[in-house]
Amino acid sequence: MKTILAFREEEYAWVHEAFPCIHPLLLPLCNKPFIEFLIDFAIIADSSSLRLLCDGGFDAVERYCENGSRWGIDLSYGSIHPDDTIHAMLGKNRKFCGEERIMIISGFSFIRYDKRLNYKSLANTMAAGEWATCPGGRITLSGMPGKTPAHWVDAPLSLMPLDGMASYYRASMEALESGADRYVLPGYGDEPGCAFGRNVVISKSVEIRKPVSIGNNVQLLADTVIGPSAIIGSNVIIDRKSSVESSIVFDNTYIGEHLKINGRIASGNRLNDPKSGASIAMEDPHLLSGIKKKGVLRSFPRKFTHAVAALVMIAVLFIPFVILRSLLKLRGQWKSARTDFLSEATGMTMSLGKVELSTASSLTSIAAALSMDRYGWLFRVLTGQLALIGSKPLPAEKNRLEITRSALSYRPGVFSYAEAEEWPSSDGDATGGDAAIVERFHIAHSTPLSDISLIIKAFVNRFQEKSIL
Amino acid sequence: MKFSLDNIDGRLVGIARLEGRLDARNSKPFQKTFLEWLEKTPLLVFDCTLLEFIDTSGLGAIVGCLRKALEKEGDLRLAGLNDKVSMVFEMTQAKRLFSIFANQSDAASSFAGEPNPGTA
Repeated sequence: MKTILAFREEEYAWVHEAFPCIHPLLLPLCNKPFIEFLIDFAIIADSSSLRLLCDGGFDAVERYCENGSRWGIDLSYGSIHPDDTIHAMLGKNRKFCGEERIMIISGFSFIRYDKRLNYKSLANTMAAGEWATCPGGRITLSGMPGKTPAHWVDAPLSLMPLDGMASYYRASMEALESGADRYVLPGYGDEPGCAFGRNVVISKSVEIRKPVSIGNNVQLLADTVIGPSAIIGSNVIIDRKSSVESSIVFDNTYIGEHLKINGRIASGNRLNDPKSGASIAMEDPHLLSGIKKKGVLRSFPRKFTHAVAALVMIAVLFIPFVILRSLLKLRGQWKSARTDFLSEATGMTMSLGKVELSTASSLTSIAAALSMDRYGWLFRVLTGQLALIGSKPLPAEKNRLEITRSALSYRPGVFSYAEAEEWPSSDGDATGGDAAIVERFHIAHSTPLSDISLIIKAFVNRFQEKSIL
Repeated sequence: MKFSLDNIDGRLVGIARLEGRLDARNSKPFQKTFLEWLEKTPLLVFDCTLLEFIDTSGLGAIVGCLRKALEKEGDLRLAGLNDKVSMVFEMTQAKRLFSIFANQSDAASSFAGEPNPGTA
């Protein structure tokens, strides 16, 4: 059997408005993109080939799903006209369909299925026509059915339209509450109703109330209460004494301290009420946490600590720097160029020498492991232009506007907090990358003392990473 | 912002109508203006029907107003919070601090039958 998944932009136009950064077909339901639920069902119903048809752009979906090999199927893509009927769709995709039985899943709706049931024999033997339907969505079978098996087993199937934030919220909660017994859901867990992704840091005093689904790279800080019915995406930090109940927290979201999120959808700096449809964009960089730019007096201990630590590093690394730099320069493996980076002061730039250690050799590995490429930057700590640890310096041409807006949470450093915490590089994305959120968190909460330990961690992590290379 | 005084069952109740945004840009002048209102009466109602947006600074300002009203043995009650503003109050748990009413007249009449400030 083969499956056609057909979507029209008007069916999911509301997603563009509610969650503008996500392609509607990749909208996460219980930490799993919507399209994957449909692919799972097609596979359960015995499809080996899928074609995704849409009347709008779906580059992001193509990049995510590729050719379907990760699910062990063939996935191809095509376009449709908004007015195409099922008959027209089948006609335009004759070559794909061939002589096989075709299941057409059309519309932006959530399929309620049970992975333990046998949809395979049903899909292959039911008469052609509608299998399940709901306003705005349907599953249709076409082509000749096979022979009815001796033991007919019914497998319930229904559709739930995803026509707005309220139905999206309901479907997510339903998937969470039905759990991994019914759907293929991401995450690991020892007990039913608890699914955790990779690199989830849970403080001792955190209370988890089932059911919950937690994505990758999540930090749950002291005294937080998660659940019941909480879906936490990836790259999320829930700060101290906050609670998340009956709510969805999207990827790359920071929930500040002492907050109560109940019955809401938090997406970046936007908080949505699925019942009323109300949505508010928080203008506080830390989603209502008390972030304040430190005054001169308050920032002095930090600057002093960083300057002292930088002096120590300059002294300790001076001899290795002189030797390695001279040797690598002679071998043509030390290349430096000046690049403009955004400085902490809003809208200002600074010029820094960026060293590239070309051609991996044992000598360049040693130099990289000792962070020799950043030795020159240490002097900028003494002048106060750089912190010893802070945000990854961003090239001046990138995201200047965003940085200007969120200047409170950008403090360029020789080392970055993300390096200390071993978070994947945000590659200069200050607006919501994996690393940027960690950096923002530490800039708001770190103390001079914690900075020292993070500087050591960042240095050691770089040493381990580069010496392996 | 409009401010008016109403006589509810012999008590002078100040009704302030908040409009537009209450954020970092206007929360300080707002607190100053509040002190002027407070001199007239410690029983106050903020009618938030036309308040479209509030951030933490605005919220902090309103909580500060409540504290000042309580210090004068009065109270500050809120009315007509829209969904967006209500979400901020809920999220920060500030909702627990206030008596919140559906509309301004309910909030104002809730002062009826309560002892006059300073006479309890």
